[in-house]
Amino acid sequence: MEDKECNSGGFMRLLSEESCSSTVTGESCVNYQTEIFNQLPSSLARRRTHHHHQDRGTIETSHPVEKHPELAGEARDRASTQPIRSLPVCMQRKREARDLRHLQTRTVGRWESWKRNQRINRKRLGEQVGEAMSRLLPWSSTLHTIEGRFGVGVKAYFVFLRYLVYLNLLLCLVIGGTILIPTVVYDSDADRGLLRFEGNDSVLDFFVGSGFLERSPVFYGFYARSSLDLLCLNTPLLFLLGTLTVLILSLVMVVRRTVVGYKHTWLLGNRYNIHMSYKVFCGWDFCIQDPEVADLKLSFIRNELKLYLEEERFQQREARRTLGQWARLYFLRGLLHFLVLVLLGGAFCLIYHATKASQAERSGDYLILTVLFQYLPPIVITLVNFFLPHVFRHISSFEDYSITTQVNATLVRSIFLKLASLGMYLFFLFQNSQQDCWENQFGKEMYKLAVFDFLACFCNTFFIAYPRKWLVDRYPSSWLARLSGKQHFLIPFNVLDLVYSQTVTWVGLFYCPMLPFIETVKLMAIFYIKKLTVLQCCVPAQRMFRASSSSVLFHFMLLLGLIMAVITLGSNLHKFEPSSSCGPFVGSATVFNVTAVCVDSLPGPAQSTLRYLSSEAFVLPVILAQIVVLTSFESRRRANGKAIERLKDMLVMSTSDKHFLLKQHTLSLRRQKKTFKAPTTVSGTREGSPTTMKDPSAGIGEDSHIAQLKDPSAQPTGDDIKIDRGL
Amino acid sequence: MGNKQTIFTDEQFEAYQDCTFFTRKEILQLHGRFHELAPHLVPLDYTNQPDVSLPLALIVSMPELKENPFRHRIVEVFSEDGQGNMSFNDFVDMFSALCETAPRELKTIYAFKIYDFNVDNFLCKEDLEKTLNRLTKGELTPEEVNLVCSKAMEEADLDGDSKLSFSDFENMISKAPDFLSTFHLRI
Repeated sequence: MEDKECNSGGFMRLLSEESCSSTVTGESCVNYQTEIFNQLPSSLARRRTHHHHQDRGTIETSHPVEKHPELAGEARDRASTQPIRSLPVCMQRKREARDLRHLQTRTVGRWESWKRNQRINRKRLGEQVGEAMSRLLPWSSTLHTIEGRFGVGVKAYFVFLRYLVYLNLLLCLVIGGTILIPTVVYDSDADRGLLRFEGNDSVLDFFVGSGFLERSPVFYGFYARSSLDLLCLNTPLLFLLGTLTVLILSLVMVVRRTVVGYKHTWLLGNRYNIHMSYKVFCGWDFCIQDPEVADLKLSFIRNELKLYLEEERFQQREARRTLGQWARLYFLRGLLHFLVLVLLGGAFCLIYHATKASQAERSGDYLILTVLFQYLPPIVITLVNFFLPHVFRHISSFEDYSITTQVNATLVRSIFLKLASLGMYLFFLFQNSQQDCWENQFGKEMYKLAVFDFLACFCNTFFIAYPRKWLVDRYPSSWLARLSGKQHFLIPFNVLDLVYSQTVTWVGLFYCPMLPFIETVKLMAIFYIKKLTVLQCCVPAQRMFRASSSSVLFHFMLLLGLIMAVITLGSNLHKFEPSSSCGPFVGSATVFNVTAVCVDSLPGPAQSTLRYLSSEAFVLPVILAQIVVLTSFESRRRANGKAIERLKDMLVMSTSDKHFLLKQHTLSLRRQKKTFKAPTTVSGTREGSPTTMKDPSAGIGEDSHIAQLKDPSAQPTGDDIKIDRGL
Repeated sequence: MGNKQTIFTDEQFEAYQDCTFFTRKEILQLHGRFHELAPHLVPLDYTNQPDVSLPLALIVSMPELKENPFRHRIVEVFSEDGQGNMSFNDFVDMFSALCETAPRELKTIYAFKIYDFNVDNFLCKEDLEKTLNRLTKGELTPEEVNLVCSKAMEEADLDGDSKLSFSDFENMISKAPDFLSTFHLRI
């Protein structure tokens, strides 16, 4: 007999001819399982826990109950601890089980039944509360509509947006509590109101951040040492604490969301996992009632499967490339990478020149021109961030990667562009920071970035998206319409915009404490604007953006932005002195003087503890301990992985053994039957013993399925006669 | 519709509330839906537990099931005779097992039964192919179907017998992130 080895899934499965025909008898033995299969402990266990529907009239389930009454009793005990409604049986059985339990209740006693009733009532109350809470979540009906029409990817964007709104609301609360309210309550200067309008204020001040806005609590310069002036509880300390709390809270929340998503996607081993089994079994959404939505879902599923098939074909094509083709491809890719770097460098140069131009002194111009020049850096940054990602997308289509790699390459380049352009802008700003009250200046720049980002989004919707839709609808055959095509909602780029605006908030938080409030209002407005864009102007993309792995990516990008903000703020606070004319840190050499003063005023032991905690003698052992813990987790993970592989191999071998033994047993049974029966009835036994004819749901059905088996651990012949009937 | 005193007795309500995930109001709602599928067959008064079953063709015409590619299998699995004729008990049972509050284990058991087209307690290659064809409305070529089914089988089959037993299926579904959110009916 031949052995074929097929190496799939990391373990070996051995095929042999014996699985479909035997050298011992002339019959085929594909039905070997039917006679003894029902009596195997695993089949019995399965039948015990599953209680088939068709169990009232058929024989197959009554047999186990008759033959093994002790097992039936055990099953009943196990079932009695489960809530009745979770039993996988038909209604009649459930009613019987319920009546049985009620009988037991009378014997169980009033205390037990009262406790059970209380538990049931509590659970029902909990369910009702949960349902009410989920209805309170804002915008859930909108999200449902969007999911129905555009798929899960677009919904993931809006979910992310809602999450950012929650985050910013939380930040608003913290800042309001630690910074705003103490200032408002304890403000020492009674005639310095929150909003003071003076002579030459104008509406444009709102855009630039000067005039009345500069004197308001929006910027750093408003806050001063007020009447709250204890050693360890004063306005500067609260200001610092508020900012630090906000950053730590953001870090905790973003890391938590990233890790939760990470566990679901990367845990399974494949990186950009196209798990076919999930697609086949969990692909259809059972809630769909609308035929159009059903068609859309169908096309999504089809496209996902075609995407998988395309990736397979791409990998095959890749495997067939010759050396010459590889060389040419690498040369082309190197050239394109260089082009990308040139574009990035050009963008940074533009930003530099725009910064220099905006900081140059201008006088005698019209007010509008001044405002425009002040807005030059944000305009340049936004334009660069708008055009370059599309250029990157086109470049990556020439690089001949697989589709997922293309999308990822574009995404990585765009992230780098956005964060680095912001970083470069901050760097150029700080080269010119020797003015009076430079913190206010910096706060104003961040404010301008935030405001312009919103203006850009607004203009994009109403001056680009709507006209484009109108053009494509009214004149579908014109060249312009054909060039631009139908609009799709490009999820990665929109998410990058959100990450960018949130990063600006975090960076500017210290210098413009009201930024989270502005950001919350802005995000809510953006939600409605984007909802309008998606529902009115866009058509569903044919290619579905994979939602589960993409949400991890979104949160990871947010984490990157947060880290950049923290680094910027930290380096600022260390390098530059607080200015001497405005802000709560007037007079101190560094911002951390206030904490030093507070620590000095604490009692002796507390002081020495704090000093120890912040010294190297403490931090280094903590880092070492963390490294040790991480190493132990990593080695445990590896050991678990090896154990899983071993268990899988054992499982495959056990199943092969089982199939082999079943087959041998059946062969020996048939041989024995043949020796007792007349030759003409041989064909009658071919279909199996009489018991198996009446139960269609027992283990038949394998006629056409050839089980792969070969038991390498046993002798192929000679032992079967010894196998006992009562196996 | 009559008031609830004439449709079900209190004792019947208690039984339904214990055996399903529904409240009184929802059970009445379900009865209303069952009745409007065949008003001349389904009595309004269920107090003496009439033995009325509706054929498969009527049940799959419901809007909740109309667009579902597996609607025939679902109705067959939950019907007592396995042919798709559902009594009201089976009807309530179906919606209860597939409602949002049903636990994952219960849904996994029923999902396995639904996808097992030849009712042999295993998901063999043919079952997978039939599932995929229903899912894509037969628009993939046979080689593509074969490729996808082989890959799905390879991912989920742990014991190497080229069929998915219930434990294989359960293991695979427990890791699927979308199962609970997609596998439920809303009435």
